[in-house]
Amino acid sequence: MFELILQALYSGLLVGGVYALIALGLALTFGTMRVINLAHGELVLLAAYMAYVVESRLQLNPVFAVPLAVLVACTCSALVYLLVDRIRKNRELNSLMLTFAIGIIITNAVLLIFSGDVRSTGSPFMQDAVQLGPLFSMKSELGAFVVSLVLVLALWQWLSRSWYGRAVRAVSSNRDAAKLMGINPAKTELISFIVAGALAACAGVALYSSSVVHPPLGHALTVKAFIITVLAGVGSVPGVLAAALLLGVTEAMTVTLWSSALQELVGMTLFLVVLLVLPNGLFGSAKRRG
Amino acid sequence: MLKVENLRAGYGAINVLWDVSLNFPLGELTAIIGPNGAGKSTLLKAVMGLVPTTQGSVSLDGYPLTDRATWDMASLGLALIPEGRMVFRDMTVEENLTMGAFPKPHRAALGRNLERVFGLFPKLRERRRQLAGSLSGGEAQMLAMGRGLMSEPRVLLIDEPSLGLAPVIVREIFDILRGLKQQGVTIVLVEQNTRMALGLADGVYLMRAGRVILAERAAAVDIDRLHDLYFAREGAAGDVADAVFK
Repeated sequence: MFELILQALYSGLLVGGVYALIALGLALTFGTMRVINLAHGELVLLAAYMAYVVESRLQLNPVFAVPLAVLVACTCSALVYLLVDRIRKNRELNSLMLTFAIGIIITNAVLLIFSGDVRSTGSPFMQDAVQLGPLFSMKSELGAFVVSLVLVLALWQWLSRSWYGRAVRAVSSNRDAAKLMGINPAKTELISFIVAGALAACAGVALYSSSVVHPPLGHALTVKAFIITVLAGVGSVPGVLAAALLLGVTEAMTVTLWSSALQELVGMTLFLVVLLVLPNGLFGSAKRRG
Repeated sequence: MLKVENLRAGYGAINVLWDVSLNFPLGELTAIIGPNGAGKSTLLKAVMGLVPTTQGSVSLDGYPLTDRATWDMASLGLALIPEGRMVFRDMTVEENLTMGAFPKPHRAALGRNLERVFGLFPKLRERRRQLAGSLSGGEAQMLAMGRGLMSEPRVLLIDEPSLGLAPVIVREIFDILRGLKQQGVTIVLVEQNTRMALGLADGVYLMRAGRVILAERAAAVDIDRLHDLYFAREGAAGDVADAVFK
């Protein structure tokens, strides 16, 4: 039993790393534009199917799909930005409807082109088992986790060291003050959407390589990313990473100890409990507004 | 000369400035005083393009600013130091200051200006790694000021730097303004502390209810008359709407 729990903990952490990539993209665009991109998970879905295309048509390892996936997801993310940017009236509400619709369109386009079948990598190399002490995983799961951590760290460095990374944080923190510093918020918003698209692309390829994908996955991922951002309560990179790992572990524990049918329910329950008990999230302190 | 002509500006349906005209000679410190709600802060924001204008123009040395975006102003040599609440609360003190040097031409001098600002405000050096949201009101005001100086502006607009601060700190901030003036920086100072503003200013504007009701050289100001106008006391002449320095 103990080994089983330890293994669930490990598997949960591995998938949590990928969740962090997805949630950070959502948090980034929410920060700069104050808009929740409900099509964010669908960008991940698109990227995952690019990996499927590269593997099934070109007989290449799905890792080689990263450039194509980045191109497609970044382009779509930029298009979402351009459409949201055109909303002048009541943007908070109307952008929800717009991005929700974009998500539905992407999901159905994927369904139309690739059918509703469940897809996953056929590469024996990726599915090889690796052992870490008493813990097992597929090579691709461990690889996805390591790559995710590296990308999360890279994002953190970008946000704290580069001029435009800091501009993203400045716009998120105080839009008018950022303008006074000479920052063009529109340009900064576009950059945040492109970076979010790139992160989503990597997450999509990682999910295809280490797990299974099918058209409804996009919507489920959007919900997970949203749960994680609310759990974290702050836009900080470590906070989102911790919340993502927590969600991954909680889900894996549920599957091991209870039933895989309850996996999504437990995530939602965690979300509701945190909202009720800690409305500012796990890491957000009570903030003065105004 | 920073010139504001017939400027009308406000927030959507609510108009705040009613066709105000003001001149700010280069190299001088001009104070804008007036009671709450006179439109002083709105005027500064309208000059920087943060508040939409519906009529009139703003120009610097004949160069029109009215249609320029707010984020172009820093490169043109203008800076607005807003109230201390407008610091980047989720960023450290040093990151806040760094953002003040965001426009490309200013990045090369980042290190030098950081030292200069830390020299002016030693408190900020002590707190450089702290989040701006955790600063006291006075410290946040100093941070907003330091951040505005990071781009070495030619024209500095300052919104109520003394608001809610202890007298010692207010004196410190006014000393810094005096120093900047000596270096030739053009300063527009919005201030409720009339006496301190008059002690430092070359020219004074009095605003009330979105209009300019008095324009005078600071040396020539009759304090009693000024206060009568300020508080709209009975009998005070309050209709010199077009008063402008020539």
